[in-house]
Amino acid sequence: MSESHTRKVLEPFGWVFQMITGLLLFAFVIFHLYITHLTSHDALEYAKVVERLSNPAIKAFYWLFLASASFHAFNGLRAVLLDTDFGARNEKAVNALTMLLFLIAVVYGGLLLLAF
Amino acid sequence: MEREVLFRIRRFDGEKEYWQDFRFTARKGMTVLEGLYFIKESLDGSLAFRASCRMGVCGSCAVKVNGKPRLACETQIFDVGDVLEIEPLDNMPVLKDLVVDMDGFFRKHEAVKPYLIRKDDDYKNPKELLQTPKELHAYYDFSLCIKCGACYSACPASATRSDYLGPAAITAAYRFCMDSRDEGKEERLGLVSGSDGVWRCHFNAECSEVCPKSVEPAKAMQKMRLMSAIHMIKSIFR
Amino acid sequence: MEMRRVSGWFTLKGKSINSIAYSFHRLTGMVLLLYLIAHLSFLTSLRIGEETYTAFISTTVRPETLPLDSLLFLATFYHAFNGLRVVLNEFGLLYEVRKALIYVMTLLALIFWLYSTYMMYVFVTGW
Repeated sequence: MSESHTRKVLEPFGWVFQMITGLLLFAFVIFHLYITHLTSHDALEYAKVVERLSNPAIKAFYWLFLASASFHAFNGLRAVLLDTDFGARNEKAVNALTMLLFLIAVVYGGLLLLAF
Repeated sequence: MEREVLFRIRRFDGEKEYWQDFRFTARKGMTVLEGLYFIKESLDGSLAFRASCRMGVCGSCAVKVNGKPRLACETQIFDVGDVLEIEPLDNMPVLKDLVVDMDGFFRKHEAVKPYLIRKDDDYKNPKELLQTPKELHAYYDFSLCIKCGACYSACPASATRSDYLGPAAITAAYRFCMDSRDEGKEERLGLVSGSDGVWRCHFNAECSEVCPKSVEPAKAMQKMRLMSAIHMIKSIFR
Repeated sequence: MEMRRVSGWFTLKGKSINSIAYSFHRLTGMVLLLYLIAHLSFLTSLRIGEETYTAFISTTVRPETLPLDSLLFLATFYHAFNGLRVVLNEFGLLYEVRKALIYVMTLLALIFWLYSTYMMYVFVTGW
């Protein structure tokens, strides 16, 4: 029961969110590259990074960026694994593992962001 | 116009796989299938291949010619060149030489219920089902599939996941879902939206490239997936 | 057996431009996944302290690693533009011109790649 429900939710939402996060990442990556490499030459210095991350707007942006990127990456990995016979045999484990990795990335990254 | 051509055929005798070369003189207009018949009749009678209608209708003679799945009967030798590498279709077990076991392919086709499903089925008192030309054209192109297996052979998702329904079966499901006379859409959407269904397609679109009847399986697949996603997301909130 | 079949994603003999785009998309996707994991792990150094972070930055942001940065940009922009194409096509848009779209998107990716590589060159060599 719960297994079929998970599968039903994950497949269509995985597909839709893969597209949405993909489109968001397009803008996010460019903005990220802009603020880390194009604004000033010392943008990667420790003090500068800490200063940037203490801005709540930037913090929120990075958290959203992290959530999108890690969902896109781990859902992509899920799709790649499920494309194989190995994935088909271990479907439940693949779904659980990739989504767990996504959650770990979001929570760990969130804690890292909160530290500033 | 005549010239000598080389048919390099990947053969399989049940135990070992090997390549065998056949040289013969081909005429202008001669098809790959005629070449295979010539080999079987004059050079090596043990060569096995499937063929029937010789005019692109039955879908029996699909083989890989220089890596691309095509109907042997609709491919002229000189259009391909002087050296033709002929192999059995991919993603299906080879039985002998160019003959593959298409049982799984047909079982998947069967699994999506590719026939009209109606609540008022009554074979004792058949009635006429009316359809406008517009309603016909909603699915007509997708109904031209001859089940040759070319799309299934070219599909990278079918290559790596053996229970994936494949382009042909999902196109058949879409064809019947779009039929105004059909009432089995919900049932079929349930059948194609498992993890072995529409989600395994990532728009390689090779199926549409190789389809000898220009059925455009890739197009049907995208529409079927969008339909499944909308249907499933709606059903969660219902 | 399994590995032979996975090679189906990267088999290009007799295939069209669509399959080349697909293979590269899958390849760059996996590269970017590995990069993301490395990048996120790397950022842990921010928490450890300034010295660790600065040591990491000075080993990874320098002219010698520029070719790797350039390759990363190529993978990123290829995956981004090809992904945009796939999104459009998967929504049933521009299906008829799907091959032309591959060339357009690849061209856009190459332009972004060259520009970003140039900017990275300026960044690491100082301006």
